[in-house]
Amino acid sequence: MTVTSAHPDVREEQGTDLREAVGLLRPWVTIVWNDPVNLMSYVSYVFRSYFGFTPAEAERLMLQVHNDGKAIVAVGNREEMERHVEAMHGFGLWATLAREEQ
Amino acid sequence: MNVERNTDGGLTAWFAPVEVELLRLATGQLVELLDGAHGATEAAASDPAIRRLLPDAYSDDPEAAEEFRRFTADTLLERKIESAVLVRDALANVQGVDDVVPSQTQSPRPDDTDSHELVVIDAPAVFSWLRALTDLRLTLAERLQMSPDGEIHLEGEEAEFLNDLYDWLGMVQESFIYTIDV
Repeated sequence: MTVTSAHPDVREEQGTDLREAVGLLRPWVTIVWNDPVNLMSYVSYVFRSYFGFTPAEAERLMLQVHNDGKAIVAVGNREEMERHVEAMHGFGLWATLAREEQ
Repeated sequence: MNVERNTDGGLTAWFAPVEVELLRLATGQLVELLDGAHGATEAAASDPAIRRLLPDAYSDDPEAAEEFRRFTADTLLERKIESAVLVRDALANVQGVDDVVPSQTQSPRPDDTDSHELVVIDAPAVFSWLRALTDLRLTLAERLQMSPDGEIHLEGEEAEFLNDLYDWLGMVQESFIYTIDV
């Protein structure tokens, strides 16, 4: 990338476009939300058996869902996250996907 | 009810006859609910139970959520139907205690199970049982008009019965999870 001696306004516009383009490379995340029905033991079990988390990690994430209302359980591209959300819904958990917060 | 781990990684569950009947009826109704929604999710979305079984995948983008639901709802429902059918059929085929093959369980039957009926669940089927139990509880919670804080708003005799069933199913699910000890 070279620095041009273009007019400052043009340089600013290029900068903004670049920031937007890089923003599109931001990964997506899968979020599991708390709900009043699912047992804590069941949520841990799903995290262990589907994601392959260790018992300690599954417990930590489950408690985060329980105490904070939600937890990020995966990061990656949009398609991967959609598959995870679908799987969570298959297990009866409530999950959504979103772009990772900057 | 009582549950034990089998040598093949599955479970053997002992249910009282009335529990078998209740669970068989409940899963049968779940199958009907899911069948009715399959291929007709837009119409079925008016049922809060279906909405909870097929929640939004995008919390701030209704269009994306709708598209996701359009693509995934039928497959999700098919899998849920499979699990519910497996459980319903297993209960329809329970053996009496006298028919049990001793080698299938690690230890002698629990003492108070003389009147109990036995269900042997192999390792892969355990997943189906857990999913069906969850879907049953989710559906019951909607019928009970449970708010996000867990408060029940349905009143009357039916509410008491449904609540007892809901609690009992939770107990069954918890017993299964602790017994398989993944």
